Amino acid sequence: MARMKFLCDDERCIACNGCVTACKQENEVPWGVNRRRVVTLNEGVRGERSISVACMHCSDAPCMAVCPVDCFYHTEEGVVLHDKDMCIGCGYCFYACPFGAPQFPQAGAFGMRGKMDKCTFCAGGPEKDNSKEEFAKYGSNRLAQGKLPACAEMCSTKALLGGDGDVIADIFRNRAIKRGKGSEVWGWGTAYGKPDHPQQQAPTGAKS
Amino acid sequence: MRATFLGMRHFLLGLMLLLPLFGGAAWAQTQDSRMQETQAQRQQVQPGNNAPVWREVRSGKEGVTTVRGRETGVLVQSEGQTWRKLRNGPITFYGGWLVVLMLVAIGVFYKLRGPIGLHSPPTGKTIERFSSFERIAHWSMAISFCILALSGLTMLFGKYVLMPLIGHTLFSWLAELGKNLHNFVGPIFLFSIVVFVLKFIRDNIPRAYDLTWLVKGGGVLTGEVVPSGRFNAGEKIWFWGGVIGLGTVSCASGLVLDFPNFDQTRALMMLANVVHVIAGIWFIMWAATHIYLGTVGTTGAYEAMRNGYVDETWAREHAQYWYDDVKAGRRALPSGEPGAAAAASAPPQVQH
Repeated sequence: MARMKFLCDDERCIACNGCVTACKQENEVPWGVNRRRVVTLNEGVRGERSISVACMHCSDAPCMAVCPVDCFYHTEEGVVLHDKDMCIGCGYCFYACPFGAPQFPQAGAFGMRGKMDKCTFCAGGPEKDNSKEEFAKYGSNRLAQGKLPACAEMCSTKALLGGDGDVIADIFRNRAIKRGKGSEVWGWGTAYGKPDHPQQQAPTGAKS
Repeated sequence: MRATFLGMRHFLLGLMLLLPLFGGAAWAQTQDSRMQETQAQRQQVQPGNNAPVWREVRSGKEGVTTVRGRETGVLVQSEGQTWRKLRNGPITFYGGWLVVLMLVAIGVFYKLRGPIGLHSPPTGKTIERFSSFERIAHWSMAISFCILALSGLTMLFGKYVLMPLIGHTLFSWLAELGKNLHNFVGPIFLFSIVVFVLKFIRDNIPRAYDLTWLVKGGGVLTGEVVPSGRFNAGEKIWFWGGVIGLGTVSCASGLVLDFPNFDQTRALMMLANVVHVIAGIWFIMWAATHIYLGTVGTTGAYEAMRNGYVDETWAREHAQYWYDDVKAGRRALPSGEPGAAAAASAPPQVQH
């Protein structure tokens, strides 16, 4: 079975925020929640880079490790999902996540955060696939419909790739060879760590 | 390139180890100039090399983003990994066993020593030990502490201890209830500590005779009756170190966690969490000894805080200087009535 991953090609990202909009539109996320965001580094100066970031669906997910009620789980495709019925809103996943993926609808006094919400790789939650309940809690389940995440599908420059880790790594490797630069894959070292088997390896040395 | 990167990391590590020699300021300067130097150099030697950018990303520096919220400009934060290792590692492991060990130690002590009883028979006459206000202050603090301790333990250890027993769903309900109780009872606990401290600070000021009491270990093992003021040295240490010391640390760190609405950073909240959990575990361990000594460990101690009255023998053996002062009329009873007047209004047999 494919291992789903995200890859953002910073040589291509133009910070149009199309992925952010696509995500909101597709999943009808609660107000104040942003499952995906685009961050621009060195804005306005030489060497400016933009990167689209959301939950990276880590192999050894920190959110999963620190959750006091174990509400997270890995799907067969390596997607990290969680059960909102169990979430107690403690915010620990938000502390632990390197990418700032977990979101809360509130940040109220007395730790009233509400249930955590994050990118599901457009794979819904534990409810029945594409049911009303699943959509209300987690948004769209495109994977169950045979589609890839809306953000990556909508990316105008195809900077954001989402799908089988081996396939997107190949696409990226070809790009890097052709253009002769920009071979660093952002976030893979942190999210996917050392590969279980050589095929899963990041194209060329993960940098961050 | 990777080798250079690693080399640089070793260099920085070396610098960190030498930090005490050069002083923090010098280190910061060296590191800063070196970062700039390598960035400039590298960009000159290898155009299109992005390594410096990625190093900056890893340092947690904020970029620009249209998404509003806490630290949304930070691409990667590394503190979370450290926090995870600390919390899921030594804090959970040693913290858990420390609490268990403490309970076992108390059990063993009870088996070997048994409760601290009275040496002389009770007189049948009682004396007021705590006013109702003092008891309300104590019990508000004690009950809120117990709620906080139990819900806190559930959140840290429940996953390993309770969840396998009661199942996933039931445990998550319990944890949610615990989390909400913890967050709302916390400030009540803080308030009750303030009231309690203001009320009891006078009788907890250390005196010379407390040293004698400490040297003799309160006579707990020898069975000797060691005189003390209204509170003995052990109670005073618990008052200053536990109620005030650990109370301040756990309340301050707890407030950082309880009010995420001030947009404090994740790093600060994780630091607060580590401090909170460590302080909480010490607090729970220490409170266990206090609860033991205040209930089954000492005959008559629980009744004192429950009803406010103790037998005069109890008062003489556990707080002799206080008892003498009250009897001689040098100080009032807890509720404010003058001690001598109380003695005068006592049953007629005292007159003869």
